[in-house]
Amino acid sequence: MEERITQKASPLKGNIRELGILIAFILIVAFLMMLSPAAFARPSNLVNIVKQASINGILACGMMYVIISGGIDLSVGSTAALAGVMAAHYAHPGEYPLIVPFLMALAVGALVGLLNGAGVAYGEIPPFIITLGTMTAVRGVSLIASGGAPVFGVSKAFEHVASGFLGGIPLLAVYFAVIVAVCAFILTKTVFGRRVYTIGGNETAAQVSGIDVRHVKLMVYTLSGVLAGFAGLLLASRTVSGSPTAGTGYELDAIAAVIIGGVSMAGGAGKWYGTVIGALMIAVIGNGLDILGVSSNYQLVIKGAIIVLAVLIDIKSKARRD
Amino acid sequence: MNARKLTALCLTGMLTLSLLAGCAPAAPAEPAAPAEPEQTTKKFALFMSHMSNAFTIELSDAVKAQAAELGAEVTVNDASKDAAKQISQIETTVNQGIDGIIIEPVSVDAIVPAVKAAKEAGIPVVIVNQQISDPAAASAYVGVANKDGGAMEMKKAVEDIGGKGNIALLLGPMGSDGQIGRSEGYKSIIDQNPDVKVVFESTANWTTDEALKLTENWLQAGKELSAIVAQNDGMALGALKAVEDAKLQDKIKVYGLDATPDALAAVKEGRLAATVSQSTTTQGLEAMKAAFALSNGETVEPVKLVDFTLITQENVDQFIK
Repeated sequence: MEERITQKASPLKGNIRELGILIAFILIVAFLMMLSPAAFARPSNLVNIVKQASINGILACGMMYVIISGGIDLSVGSTAALAGVMAAHYAHPGEYPLIVPFLMALAVGALVGLLNGAGVAYGEIPPFIITLGTMTAVRGVSLIASGGAPVFGVSKAFEHVASGFLGGIPLLAVYFAVIVAVCAFILTKTVFGRRVYTIGGNETAAQVSGIDVRHVKLMVYTLSGVLAGFAGLLLASRTVSGSPTAGTGYELDAIAAVIIGGVSMAGGAGKWYGTVIGALMIAVIGNGLDILGVSSNYQLVIKGAIIVLAVLIDIKSKARRD
Repeated sequence: MNARKLTALCLTGMLTLSLLAGCAPAAPAEPAAPAEPEQTTKKFALFMSHMSNAFTIELSDAVKAQAAELGAEVTVNDASKDAAKQISQIETTVNQGIDGIIIEPVSVDAIVPAVKAAKEAGIPVVIVNQQISDPAAASAYVGVANKDGGAMEMKKAVEDIGGKGNIALLLGPMGSDGQIGRSEGYKSIIDQNPDVKVVFESTANWTTDEALKLTENWLQAGKELSAIVAQNDGMALGALKAVEDAKLQDKIKVYGLDATPDALAAVKEGRLAATVSQSTTTQGLEAMKAAFALSNGETVEPVKLVDFTLITQENVDQFIK
């Protein structure tokens, strides 16, 4: 993971926006290493951090597409909860093969994503409004679908989806790496990826130049939905239950990761590795403060301050170079 | 172009409908009710703080079951954790006329004026589960003292680890009544055991995923833990998952509170050391009985405390339904 970031981020000449955030990230890591050298820097803890960054990181990948296209998706936390509930329903031991809860979670995500996308692209509803609506409605649906209580009693195979290992690396981290790789490839190497940037940069110009703006938007929200569905599956597997109230506030963590990573809220600009650093940064802060035994009340204050500070460093370092 | 707009409109309409469907159970009393001329069956209303976990569902089911047994009708109002919403639900119902109301409060302070207004209108008010800050405003209270539940859980944990060792506490949302009461109960036991040291203490907001993440981080800190004591079962199960993933289940015991079905299953399997039942069903049954008695002009005890029960592997079978 780390290796890939430095490799890709090294030709930074044209990508100065992400440099500030990388510096902030390194500073925070160095600071935490100084404060608790024995516990924080242990390899097992570094693996733990990547594992904890995974679910938010996967949501952030989808969110990144949406924000670059000039939109926002507030529904991902609720979508993850509904996907988790539906997956858990079909994951009781000896009932259905593992593929059923798997596809169920992805289908739930795709459906909510399609609804968001159709609303934005064809209904011309502002993304904030439509996804606020689905965020609320989908939370209600997940409470209805679960009868208000967590769905438990899932099979060992289902539990293994998130808690397993592949050659010593947690599967969660493996999924995260694969999804980052695929998302980065689509964003930087395909026509579709370039169109996402173009639409976010100047929608009218994109339209005039013959891009099917609506189709691209529909795809972007669907992608975000599918990734939210997958994150919900992982969340349910990780907590061995499908909780209708899970994932509350996850949309904000995903947005924070994307913004910390230097993606412009206005759309049209941002790099995939910025988002990865953003997701890692949020996990590092939480992990470091928990290890230090900092009270949760202070953690909220510190986290908020670090988010603002990180973006401030980013803005200042960018201004200096410009 | 227009066809597309139409499709979009349809989609929006569907979304609005699904939104409404999501809200429907929360709507106050059915409009058909007041139109009924004869008043043979007594009508009651139950006001729940929310209907989104096993506890609130069990409590409202118990009230409904008792009402059915008494031949009374009960409508359930869901305030979705919003105190202002609960107040307006109570006011609406009081205005429509009702034989008695049962309230599981969102906030122990905020609803006091609404309770007073109901009582002034001559309607018996029974508070359930959490006592309001002005107990005299209501007719009766049926519930538990959170402090006792916390103390019972902590006492068991301290006994199990032999009265000494490092422990970690997973708390409910800071400042919530459950968190404050249960923490007081914890403290009363910890203060008597100077060799028990609280090395970590943080909120996981009643949720499994937050507790899981928090415990994973604590386990990385390199401090030896003997027990993790959580203020509800959802968080206890998150901590248990982290402990089992780290293969530390032989060293660290995990304790919960609430006796939810999944926690009971974990106690039966010998994974969760213990949980505490706040006798939810009994609370619901007693609350409905009290409201019914009051509506007949009978007197009831102003405060009825239901006992907590400690559940371990030995007695868990009595509680699994």
